Amino acid sequence: MRKIFTIAVREFLAVVATKGFVLGLLIPPVIMAVMVTLLPRLMNQKPPTVVGSIAIIDQSGLVAPRLTDAFSKDQMEKRRADKFREASAEVTKRTGVALPDPTKGGPDANAANPMAAAMNNPIAKAQMEQAMGAVPELTVVTLPADTNADATKTQLLDANPRAALPLKDDGTPDETKIATLRKQKLMLLVIPRETVVRAADAKETDNFAGYQLFTAPRLDPEVTADIRDQANRAIIDARLASNQLDVDKVRSLVERPTADQQVVTAAGERKQNEAAAMLVPGAFMFLLWMSVFVAGQYLLTSTIEEKSSRVMEVLLSATSPLELMVGKIIGKGAVGLLVLVLYAGAGILALIAATMLDLIAWQNVVFLLVYFVIAYFIVASLMAAIGAAVTELAEAQALMTPINLVLMIPMLLWLPIMRNPNGTFAQVCSFVPLINPFVMVLRISGPEQIPGWQIAASIFIGVLTVVALVWASAKIFRVGVLMYGKPPNFSTLLRWVRMA
Amino acid sequence: MSAIQLTNLTKTFGTKLAVDNLNFAVEEGSLIGLIGPNGAGKTTTIRMIMSIIFPDSGQISVLGKASAGESKDLIGYLPEERGVYKKMKVGAFLTYIARLKNVPESEVSRRVNGWLERVALADTAKKRCEELSKGMQQKVQFIASVIHQPRLVILDEPFSGLDPVNSRLLRSLVHDLHTQGTTIIFSTHQMSQAEALCDRIVMIHQGKKVLDDTPSRIRNQFDPRAVFIEPVDAIPEQALAALPGVDRVREVGGGFEVFAKDSEPASTMLARLAAAVPATRLEVVRPSLEDVFIDIVKGSASSDEELAELEALARGSRSDTSGD
Repeated sequence: MRKIFTIAVREFLAVVATKGFVLGLLIPPVIMAVMVTLLPRLMNQKPPTVVGSIAIIDQSGLVAPRLTDAFSKDQMEKRRADKFREASAEVTKRTGVALPDPTKGGPDANAANPMAAAMNNPIAKAQMEQAMGAVPELTVVTLPADTNADATKTQLLDANPRAALPLKDDGTPDETKIATLRKQKLMLLVIPRETVVRAADAKETDNFAGYQLFTAPRLDPEVTADIRDQANRAIIDARLASNQLDVDKVRSLVERPTADQQVVTAAGERKQNEAAAMLVPGAFMFLLWMSVFVAGQYLLTSTIEEKSSRVMEVLLSATSPLELMVGKIIGKGAVGLLVLVLYAGAGILALIAATMLDLIAWQNVVFLLVYFVIAYFIVASLMAAIGAAVTELAEAQALMTPINLVLMIPMLLWLPIMRNPNGTFAQVCSFVPLINPFVMVLRISGPEQIPGWQIAASIFIGVLTVVALVWASAKIFRVGVLMYGKPPNFSTLLRWVRMA
Repeated sequence: MSAIQLTNLTKTFGTKLAVDNLNFAVEEGSLIGLIGPNGAGKTTTIRMIMSIIFPDSGQISVLGKASAGESKDLIGYLPEERGVYKKMKVGAFLTYIARLKNVPESEVSRRVNGWLERVALADTAKKRCEELSKGMQQKVQFIASVIHQPRLVILDEPFSGLDPVNSRLLRSLVHDLHTQGTTIIFSTHQMSQAEALCDRIVMIHQGKKVLDDTPSRIRNQFDPRAVFIEPVDAIPEQALAALPGVDRVREVGGGFEVFAKDSEPASTMLARLAAAVPATRLEVVRPSLEDVFIDIVKGSASSDEELAELEALARGSRSDTSGD
């Protein structure tokens, strides 16, 4: 036992005390952090503030004033804030994180939330600017109803919707040039009278006529969409008004109701959290998969290294092959466990910071560790056997390919199993040796209750698999460690199992 | 009591008979050389003694136990296929091996440092093993095999790859262990090393034991048939060849080896030469183990090619002798 411990300690330190391991452990989270923080910023590199005018030829005379009002500075800022609030509400609904509301003054109403409280409104406003770009400077120019649309249309070609704000030499905005820029026509709306008011001979149920909308090339699609939305709204309002209806009243009457969706469970009602229900089990399984494979890979390469550097026989003069194999498996397993604990710990810290810790149940973490041990011993015994059988890493590839294929299966099963965690397919997969630890982690950490007997049975099958594989690989290991020369194939390995 | 007792040991690899009904015993405290050409079965025999591989039939007894597996901590083993962890520091590697061999924790660092000093590697303890030369690595491996003060030391080709200085150092270390009472068995195909060190020599050829005796008795078994002469004045080879009873003459550094015909004893030849040619040196050539080795192997060599190879091998090891 002392020898196994000595070997395990060396195997653990030989990996953990290297720069490569420390860097390898840090780089993935760093890349992820960079992607999470930097990528949206890069994507948010909005084109310069859109400055210009919207020309409207309004033959009804009812739409233009409303549109002018809709593009006043106040209204545009209000729309921005509403949009941002909607997006925040969506985030809150899906993740449970309350984002600050930039339209509310004073200390945040949601002060119980430390993250929200930390973000005071000016900062939140700046963040909104950051997230959504600056408010476009748009003015609505109402042209006489008899203006030639074709002639005006050609003016759109002269516009440069992406022109940067002109600056004077000293860096301040050049107001005279900006004034010219404001006059450039970015869009032309041609609204026939029939779009708003029905022709005298039309029936009540007939559709209204449409309208024409010309835009300058390269105009920001978000701005175009906003203008179109506002034009539609102004036209509907104009229709309501022309029918002597109270616009605000009708608007509030046709407001779409909001549904507070909850799932009824035995433990009480809870908010539906679909994204989390899919992602948390996926994260659990990926964590398991990654830590098992990192450790397995280290075991494979270190076994091959001992063979190719011929240190193996020196070691075998001091220990038995079984002691060596068990010591190595335990030592590299500790590496895998360290990876698992560090990453899971980082994940749990992130969830604490986001006050979403209730997404994971503590017993699932315990199950994760149990299934880690099973999955690791399965992979490790395969890696130890292969590592001992070959002399060079390149020779191991031929033997690794089928094993890798089998162990990729859990990744492919993620979606089908998560869609129906208690379906026949998921239940059958829970009892298939080699992949069942991964499948069970996926099912247990999902939202549905898994029958206790299935958990017990899957652990039992897992342990049986481990016992069988460790037994077989111990035999291959004993024969293989001193075999040099032609790399063996699977039938040779089977012969070694029978022979030893 | 025998430290090692092999009885009817047989091992085949596939169709090749590697060790064929081998019997020998190693007395406690003795120093035995296991010699034989490449592929004779030396390493296979040693691996079976070490229970790294297992015999098809026959019995092994090591230090009174049925296998070395039960007494690993009493045995020191320097394998033929030896290596070090390339990335590990020398001191850390030896500490690890010492711990694996159950050296008491309080002793470990004292022994590691003591041994490194003894082999003049004290300044390398903090270096990575891969920074060491091959000879230095070999010394580290030797330390690894004896750091736990074993009762029995088995060295497989300990001298291969060592320069003369290190070869001598290793020989003196082996000698020290021997005088302390350690049983030592080492394999080599360099006869000179075996001749200089061993109490007893066991020669294996094609898996069979062909010799088992002390070096001097082995030499005596082989009747010397040649006389070495270093003439005072230069004389042609033909002058010697013309003498009666001479079979053939061979020129060697500074003189000639004169081979007597089978009917002539070497002593007669000595007298005859002394009378015929004034000589600064005149002596009966004692057969070296190399000659014995070649003689035995030649007898069973199946082709001319194999013979030529052996001659080359013998000549190579003969030239090693001068350096050692």
